[in-house]
Amino acid sequence: MLTIGTLANIKHILQKELFNVSTSGERLLSVVTVTKTFKKKDKRACYLCVVTTAPPVPVVSVCLVKQSEQRESEYKRKRSWLLDEIKWIDGRNEQFETHEFDIQLEKLYKWYALNLHERQNFLAVLNRQIQKFVRGPRAEFRNVPSAWLSEKSPEKIAAGRAGTGSVAQKPANTDDEEDEEEAQEFTALTDKEANELGKLFSECDFAIKDAEQFIEQLSRELHDLDGANMQSVLASEQKVLKMMEHIDSAITEADKFETRLDTYEDILGHVKETMEKIGGKNAMIEIANNNNIKLMKELNKVISQLDLPHSQQQALDDPDLKTPAGLKAAIAAAQCLQQAMNSDIDPALLRLEAVQDQRKRFEKWKQKFSAIVSRFMNNLFIHLGNESKTSTDLSLPNHSTVHRELAPYTELMHWTKAMDRKTYDGLMNVYTHSLKKIYVQDVKSFFNLAKMQVSEKLQSSREDLDMSSSSRKSAVSTIPYGTLGINREQWGPGVDSADRVRFDALLEKVLAELEPIALQEQLFCINFFQMDVISPTTKNTQTTLDMDKDKDKGMEMTQSFNSSTISPTSASSKGGGAAGVPQKRIDRQINEDVRKLMMGLFDCLEPELVSFIQSFERVDSFYSLYVLVRLTQHVMSAQDTHSFLSMTFASALVHVKRNFDRFMQQQLQSIKEAKLHKRSKAILPYVENFENFAQTAEGIFRNSDRRTDMEKWYLQLVNAIFEGISMHAQEHPKTPSQVVRMENYHHMYALLAQLKVPGLDALKKEAKSRYIDALKAYVTQYFGRPLEKLNQFFEGVQLKVAQGVKETEISYQMAFSKQELRKVISQYPAREVKKGLENLYKKVDKHLCEEENLLQVVWHAMQEEFIAQYNYLEERIQKCYAGAMINLEFNIQDILAFFSDIARSH
Amino acid sequence: MSKKPTAGPALHKVIMVGSGGVGKSALTLQFMYDEFVEDYEPTKADSYRKKVVLDGEEVQIDILDTAGQEDYAAIRDNYFRSGEGFLCVFSITDDESFQATQEFREQILRVKNDESIPFLLVGNKCDLNDKRKVPLNECQQRAQLWSVPYVETSAKTRENVDKVFFDLMREIRSRKTEDSKATSGRAKDRCKKRRLKCTLLVFFDLIRDISSRKKQRQMDVKEPAKPSPCCQLL
Repeated sequence: MLTIGTLANIKHILQKELFNVSTSGERLLSVVTVTKTFKKKDKRACYLCVVTTAPPVPVVSVCLVKQSEQRESEYKRKRSWLLDEIKWIDGRNEQFETHEFDIQLEKLYKWYALNLHERQNFLAVLNRQIQKFVRGPRAEFRNVPSAWLSEKSPEKIAAGRAGTGSVAQKPANTDDEEDEEEAQEFTALTDKEANELGKLFSECDFAIKDAEQFIEQLSRELHDLDGANMQSVLASEQKVLKMMEHIDSAITEADKFETRLDTYEDILGHVKETMEKIGGKNAMIEIANNNNIKLMKELNKVISQLDLPHSQQQALDDPDLKTPAGLKAAIAAAQCLQQAMNSDIDPALLRLEAVQDQRKRFEKWKQKFSAIVSRFMNNLFIHLGNESKTSTDLSLPNHSTVHRELAPYTELMHWTKAMDRKTYDGLMNVYTHSLKKIYVQDVKSFFNLAKMQVSEKLQSSREDLDMSSSSRKSAVSTIPYGTLGINREQWGPGVDSADRVRFDALLEKVLAELEPIALQEQLFCINFFQMDVISPTTKNTQTTLDMDKDKDKGMEMTQSFNSSTISPTSASSKGGGAAGVPQKRIDRQINEDVRKLMMGLFDCLEPELVSFIQSFERVDSFYSLYVLVRLTQHVMSAQDTHSFLSMTFASALVHVKRNFDRFMQQQLQSIKEAKLHKRSKAILPYVENFENFAQTAEGIFRNSDRRTDMEKWYLQLVNAIFEGISMHAQEHPKTPSQVVRMENYHHMYALLAQLKVPGLDALKKEAKSRYIDALKAYVTQYFGRPLEKLNQFFEGVQLKVAQGVKETEISYQMAFSKQELRKVISQYPAREVKKGLENLYKKVDKHLCEEENLLQVVWHAMQEEFIAQYNYLEERIQKCYAGAMINLEFNIQDILAFFSDIARSH
Repeated sequence: MSKKPTAGPALHKVIMVGSGGVGKSALTLQFMYDEFVEDYEPTKADSYRKKVVLDGEEVQIDILDTAGQEDYAAIRDNYFRSGEGFLCVFSITDDESFQATQEFREQILRVKNDESIPFLLVGNKCDLNDKRKVPLNECQQRAQLWSVPYVETSAKTRENVDKVFFDLMREIRSRKTEDSKATSGRAKDRCKKRRLKCTLLVFFDLIRDISSRKKQRQMDVKEPAKPSPCCQLL
């Protein structure tokens, strides 16, 4: 403020002193107090001014003004430049606190502004003037804050800030001099105000010179105005009073109106109450009506449900079960009764006496009807049970006639089951007993026939043997057929493979016959006795009409209806009943029941089947093998593994498997216990018999699931045979053990190679290697050494050599001199050697048996062995007695000739 | 020749001959057990027996599988002697084995002393036709020369395996029935023949004996006259 003030002061002074408008017409726009920075001595301030000439053509220039040295108040224009002459202005630094600035004119002037605001103002004004008036290249401003160079002129900023100051200055100045810039500042005065003011001033034109008069005039006028105002206020009071009166009357009117409204409302309230009461009554009526309708419906339902038409009552009283029409009526009536007795009636309604009475009546009908049905069915069952047919053919009689006869009564049975459990159970027992008689008879005769056929077939195939079991025991031999460890000649009578095929077919037929009969009966029973539905109730009669306090029980019993009789309550109560029982357990329970029934009907089936199978086993010990396979097939192919027949077959299968294992065990034992007789052949009995055994077993088991069972036994048996061969080889009366081993292993190898049982591959290889070992052992031992002494001689030589005697010096040893050698050699003339070989060939021929055809093999090995020995001896002689001209008395050609001769002589 | 007449099915003795590695054992095993053994292991000698049905008649076949490599041919005499029919096997991929059949044929004829012994020339490994070394017409020519059948087989694919064994068995069988007729019809004739054979054999032995003695006496003496010319003399 102060600086602005001084600046303004300076500006004012300079304007006044130097640039008089009246004289030069110039106006000072901005001034800055500066010192020249480069002239340090001259510390006196100068003023740099921006000056403009008066319009219409303003010429702006920059002026340097100095204070005169002599007089403080005297100012001189030192220099003056036009704006065009300014090349550039450098603010040095954009900071506000920068004092220096340079101006490039004809030379560079460096200035130091004493006042920062002056500097800012000066630069901004200078810039604006340059922008305004300079055409062509304009001076460049460097390092000057861009805000200063913007549109808003710094004078205004400065004026804004210092507004009060400059306005305050104004009246004090009372200078009429209005410059352009100043006028712009006061445009805030609106035209209207200006006019008013102008008018005011024009009216009081005189007052300009006389302020006091003017004030007086003004206050006078104000006073006048106040008075007028008071007068008008006083005049309005009466009018106000009048208005108050009006308002009062309006209020009373409103009060009146209100009371009236209140009465109306009272009336309306009363009406509403009445209306509500009427509405309530209406609802009550409706409810009552609904209830009546419901009651009616319920009663109708109860009556219609519990009502049994007269015709049906009659049908129940005196049913005619013999004729189809009567039966149909009876069944219909019975079902109606059942339905009625299981009607869907609210438990509460059950307390109605009428309902209970009806129930009792129903009960009576039920009992009566049930008794009639029971009697009738009882008779029917017994009657059917007494019918019997005998067949001579090997087939189980089909009882579909019985089933067909009973089929019409199925629904009656279902009814009985639901309505009279005791009768139902009783009837079931009667049925079982009656039909059992038939089945026992059938099954027994069937199996007897089957057994007969077995023996018949045997008789036809081997007439000389009586096959009845009693005489079989006294037969020549008690050794079962096919026993491995016993010679074939000693076996009891057996059957050939064709018989086995027949037996197998017979067994298949028996099993195949049993299956449909049992299945048919089972299906019929399930259907007839409705065994596929469980009724967990312990109650005799299923009815919903009991006045049962225990609700749960009532709910529990209902779930066992077929869809035709199922009642809605049962559906809803299922959740509490058996639905909670897992399906698996239900199935098991059903299976259990069915099995029990079937067991009752066919209780002789299993023992008969087992005895039938046993009868086979008596005839043929191999029977367990194919019975095992056949039964397994049947058990495996059965879809319903829990059915009665499957269970029966399964238990028979267990029996057979046991027999099979026992049979195999016996075979194993027989191998271990096999004894050799004096006239035993070279091939051991079990080795010989194994072929037949294995072929039979393979024929049976080839494509069976039971193969693994057999293979297990193969392994055991073959191992036992190998052990047996090694053991019995030592005991053999005639044949050397090596030959026994060689021939038996050769036989086993051939057998196993033919058998091609994968599990026995290792044993096959074992057999081969044992055979080859035995062959080698036989050749080395029995070929012995036809040149025994020669061999001994050279063994001695070898010993000496090993002790360190040189081979060439052997002949100097006493015991191994040339003479000694010649002596030994002379013992083996060609003729002797030939004879020895011939004897050997004969011996070998005698040792070996015809079956294995190993003579050529053995002889081949022996020939090679002999040649090898000959070569060895020759080589020794050449090494140890070289040059002594010693030779064996025969040469290789001789040996070959001997062999050829032996070949030719046989 | 056999120890005692065997009761039961007729027994035919077949000998497999041929060079080493031509597939004698492979043919035998394929025929016996329906198996083909890839790895080669030289056979020394092995014997097999099998029951087969030959034209509706159950017979037994004894197969003697022999060694292809032998240091001394004479060792074979014995089993050639025991054979009733021969499968002379060579490999069509190996010319040497084909040439060797000549030698085998000669030895068999010499030992059996019978020009019309049942004999089949068998060219094995016919599955390896792309490696064939022995032309088919050469094989056929040789068979024609010997007036024996020629069959090509593959033990690997089982081609003609049964055929060669069964054909041979048929020849053996027809030969046997012929012989038995001959014994009943011209018993004396055969007896004479036999005796002649025997005397000749004795004669042959004698020559051999003499020659060996000669050889023994004079160490540097040459080998005695080979047996084959002797046979031809017969």
